Amino acid sequence: MPEHHLSSLLVHTRPDTLDAVADRLEAEGCEVHGRSPEGKLVVTLEAEGQRTLNDALTRIQLLPDVLAATLVFHHVEPPEELARPL
Amino acid sequence: MTMTRRDALKAKAVAAASAAAGMTAPAFAQNIPTARDETELTWSKAPCRFCGTGCSVMVATRNDRVVATHGDAEAEVNRGLNCVKGYFLSKIMYGADRLTMPLLRKRDGVYDKNGEFEEVSWDEAFDVMAEKFKKTLAEKGPEAVGMFGSGQWTVWEGYAASKLYKAGFRSNNIDPNARHCMASAVAGFIRTFGIDEPMGCYDDFEHADAFVLWGSNMAEMHPILWTRLTDRRLSAPETEVVVLSTYRNRCYDLADIEMTFTPQSDLALLNAIARHVIKTGRVNTDFVDKHVNFKRGNTDIGYGLRPEHPLEQAAENADAVGGSSDMTLEEFEEFLEPYTFEYAEELSGVPARRIEALAEIYADPDKKVMSLWTMGVNQHTRGVWVNNMIYNVHLLTGKIAEPGNSPFSLTGQPSACGTAREVGTFAHRLPADLVVANPEHRKVAEEIWKLPEGTVPGWVGAHAVLQNRKLKDGEINAYWIQVNNNLQAAPNLLEETYPGYRNPDNFIVVSDAYPTVTAQAADLVLPTAMWVEKEGAYGNAERRTQFWHQLVHAPGEAKSDLWQLMEFSKRFTTDEVWPAELLDAAPEYRGKTLFEVLYANGNVDAYDISETEAHPNHESDAFGFYVQKGLFEEYARFGRDHGHDLADFDRYHEERGLRWPVVDGKETRWRYREGYDPYVTPGAGVEFYGKPDGRANIFALPYEPPAESPDDEFPFWLVTGRVLEHWHSGSMTDRVPELHKAYPNAMVYMHPEDAGELGLHRGSEVKLTSRRGDMLTRVETRGRNKVPRGLIFVPWFDANQLINKLTLDATDPISKQTDFKKCACKVEAAT
Repeated sequence: MPEHHLSSLLVHTRPDTLDAVADRLEAEGCEVHGRSPEGKLVVTLEAEGQRTLNDALTRIQLLPDVLAATLVFHHVEPPEELARPL
Repeated sequence: MTMTRRDALKAKAVAAASAAAGMTAPAFAQNIPTARDETELTWSKAPCRFCGTGCSVMVATRNDRVVATHGDAEAEVNRGLNCVKGYFLSKIMYGADRLTMPLLRKRDGVYDKNGEFEEVSWDEAFDVMAEKFKKTLAEKGPEAVGMFGSGQWTVWEGYAASKLYKAGFRSNNIDPNARHCMASAVAGFIRTFGIDEPMGCYDDFEHADAFVLWGSNMAEMHPILWTRLTDRRLSAPETEVVVLSTYRNRCYDLADIEMTFTPQSDLALLNAIARHVIKTGRVNTDFVDKHVNFKRGNTDIGYGLRPEHPLEQAAENADAVGGSSDMTLEEFEEFLEPYTFEYAEELSGVPARRIEALAEIYADPDKKVMSLWTMGVNQHTRGVWVNNMIYNVHLLTGKIAEPGNSPFSLTGQPSACGTAREVGTFAHRLPADLVVANPEHRKVAEEIWKLPEGTVPGWVGAHAVLQNRKLKDGEINAYWIQVNNNLQAAPNLLEETYPGYRNPDNFIVVSDAYPTVTAQAADLVLPTAMWVEKEGAYGNAERRTQFWHQLVHAPGEAKSDLWQLMEFSKRFTTDEVWPAELLDAAPEYRGKTLFEVLYANGNVDAYDISETEAHPNHESDAFGFYVQKGLFEEYARFGRDHGHDLADFDRYHEERGLRWPVVDGKETRWRYREGYDPYVTPGAGVEFYGKPDGRANIFALPYEPPAESPDDEFPFWLVTGRVLEHWHSGSMTDRVPELHKAYPNAMVYMHPEDAGELGLHRGSEVKLTSRRGDMLTRVETRGRNKVPRGLIFVPWFDANQLINKLTLDATDPISKQTDFKKCACKVEAAT
C-alpha cells in the first residue's frame, strides 16, 4: 500500500556553514522553512515509502557540516488521504 | 487555492520544529487548521523505552494500536525533539515474529532439553518451570537458582523480581545486565561519595563553559543530549568541546580539541591533569580542606578473570581490590610526580600540548566544566578507577555540585538508574543503596517487607559474568532471564556463556517479546508484553523518575514480566523453599504461598483495583488490586527520609518526571549544595552526606596495563560498540525494517593503510580471530567511525556476526563489569 511520509527536522550546523548546509539539504529533497544565525535549520522531508524516507534520513545525518539532525514530527498516511481538501 | 490535509500537517510539522528550535514559525505555519484525524487519535505521554536519556514522547493510539509518536514539547529533557530511535517506537511492538505463546522444548509430548520448541499454555509452562526450580532448591539450595534481569525492567518489575529471589527463594543470585554497562560508574560513586548517581542534572548543559567527553560517542548514542550540547556550543561561542576517544567518531565534528588515545591510557591522562592543577597552584584549597579526604588505593588488583588464570595468580591485591589507606594532599602530589605531560604523551599518543590545553580547561577557576562519559570509561578493567579519577579533578578544583560544574555519568538503558541501581537488583544490593552483606540493612528490608528476621541471606550473589561461569560449571541449574539478550551480549560467549545454557543439568527460561539468540538457546521461552502494553516506571540518568499508563493490549498470550514473576510465585509455599529454623521461629508463615507472603502482604495489595479504571492494566485485573501502586509505595519506604525520597505514586502520572530526592513535593536538581539540596546541613555550603564525615574521597591510583594488549600474533586492538540505528543487541530495533536497512550488517572498521598492508580493501571478506574465537565479516574503511592504525572497531548488534566470540571475559575487579573495549586480535583475508 503506498504511503506518504511527512516529517519535520531540526538540523544544527556551524553559523558559517548555514547556507551551504541549507543548499545540501535542498539537494537531498528537503524544504528549508527557517534558519537562525546560531546555526539551526527547520526543514521538512517528505517521501513515498519508509525505505526512501529512511535512506534520506541517513544521508542527511552524514552530510558534511551537519552536527546534529533531530526529528520532531512524523505523520504517515496513504497519499490520497493527504490530498483531500480540508 | 484549496488547502489539503497535507498542507495542514506540514504547517503543523514546521510549527513543532520551530518551537523546538526556539525560532518563530513562518506565517503559513502559525494558524494551523485542525486536521480531522486529530479527533480520532488518543494521545498520551510515555518515556521512550530505548536509552538512558529519558525523553518523553507523545504516543497516539487508535483501535488498541500505537500509530504515531512525536517528541513531547512539555518535557524538560527533550523539549519536543525525538531522535531516530524514538521515532520508530510505534513499530517496535509490531514485528512479524513477535512471540505470543509460551514455547517449551519437547519430545514425545514431554519436556526434553534436546527437543524442539512447541507452543504450550502458561499452566504447562509454569508447571515444568516450577518443578525444575523446586528440584534445584531441594537438592542444592538457594545458591543453585539464579536470575539475570535488566536496566529495561520497569521499577516495579525489578522490585518484584528482587523480592521473589532475595526474600522468596532466599537467593542473592540476581543481577541485571546493567552490570555490563553501569557497574563501574556505581562503584565509582560509592567509593568517592558513598551514594550512587550523579549530583548534577541535564540543566548543566545550558550552564557549562566546556564539555569534556571521556569515552562517550554522544552524537550517536545520546542524540538528544548531543543536540542540547550542540545548541549550547553554537549559541555561546566561547564554550569549548573536548572529545577523547580511542577512535574518531561523529562527536569530533564539534570538537575544539580532539584527543585520540591508546586504549587504557586515560588513566595516565587524568593523572597528568591532576598533577597540572596542583603544580600550577590551582587547587581550590578552601573546598579541599573542608570537603575532601585523600586515599591511596590498592594497586595490582588483577583483571576479574577466573582465579586460576595466571594474571590473577600474579596479582598482589586480587583479594583486596577495593582497599585503600589515608594520605595527604602533599603525598598525593608526590604520587602524581611521574605523570608529566610527556609521560602521558608517551602512553597515550596524544601530543603533550593538547593534554596541557585540556588540563588548563579544568584548572581555570573561571571555566565551568561538564565531564561526560559512558561505556569507554565503564567497560574497562580499571573502570572504577577512571570514574574515581574524573572525580579527583573535579574535587581538586571544587568544580562540582553546582550549575555547569558537573562530572556526569551517562547511562545506556532507560532504567539502569531507576531500576537496576535504585531498586538494587544487583547481587549485592537492596533498595536505596542498602547492601545484603550488612545485617542492619537486611533488617530494614525484612521490616518493610513484613518478613521474619533472617529471611534475606547475607551472602553476595553471583554477578553477571560469574553467573555464566557457574552455569557452565553446573553450580547454577535453574535460571531465568528477563528483558535482555545475554547470550549475544556476554563476553567470550563460546567458551564461557553458551556452554552453560546447553549444560544438560540446567533449565534456562527466557522471557522476551522476540526470538532473540538467547531465547533460541533456552529451554522455555515466555512471551512478554512490552513498553505501553503495561503500566511502567523508569528512572533516567539525571535521577528523574517517569511513569506511563498501559495504553494498548499485548498480542496473544504475551504478559508483562511483572505478571510472570507474581503468577509464578503462587506455585511455591514457604514450606517448600524456606528452611525449618526460619519457619520454627515464625510459624505464622507456614503453608503460605510466596505470592501471599511477598505480594498479598498488606502493603502491595493496599490499593483498590477501582483506581485503575481509566486505563487498561492487565496485572491488576489478574491479581485484583492496584499492583503497580502497591509495589511502588512499599518500595518508596526504603528511600524516604534517607536521601532517596520519591514522590507519591499518583503524582508521577501527572508529571514529566521528577528528580529525586523529592522533598516537600520539590525535586532536587543539584545534590550536596546548600540552596539546592535540602539534605545539606544549613551553613555547611557543601556536604557529601553519603560519607559519614561529609567528605568525598580523592584516590591516588596509577596507570596499570590492560589484561591483553596487541602482540606479534594478534597485532590489533579490538574495540566493540554500537551505531546509532541499532540499540544494544538489536533484539528490538532489528524488527524495524527501516533501521535494519540503514545498517544491514556489522562491519569491521579499519584504517585504509592497515587494510592495504594486508592486501584488503573496502568490502573484502575477512576473518577476525582472537585467542578465544573467530568471526567472518567485511572491511569498511570509510564511514562515520574512523579508527587509527593498529585498532579495529566492530559493532555488536548483528546476531549473525557474534563479535563476543572474540572478546575477553576480563572485568574490573571492583565492579565486575566486563571490558568490551580492549583485547587483541588479528585480521586475515577469508578464503
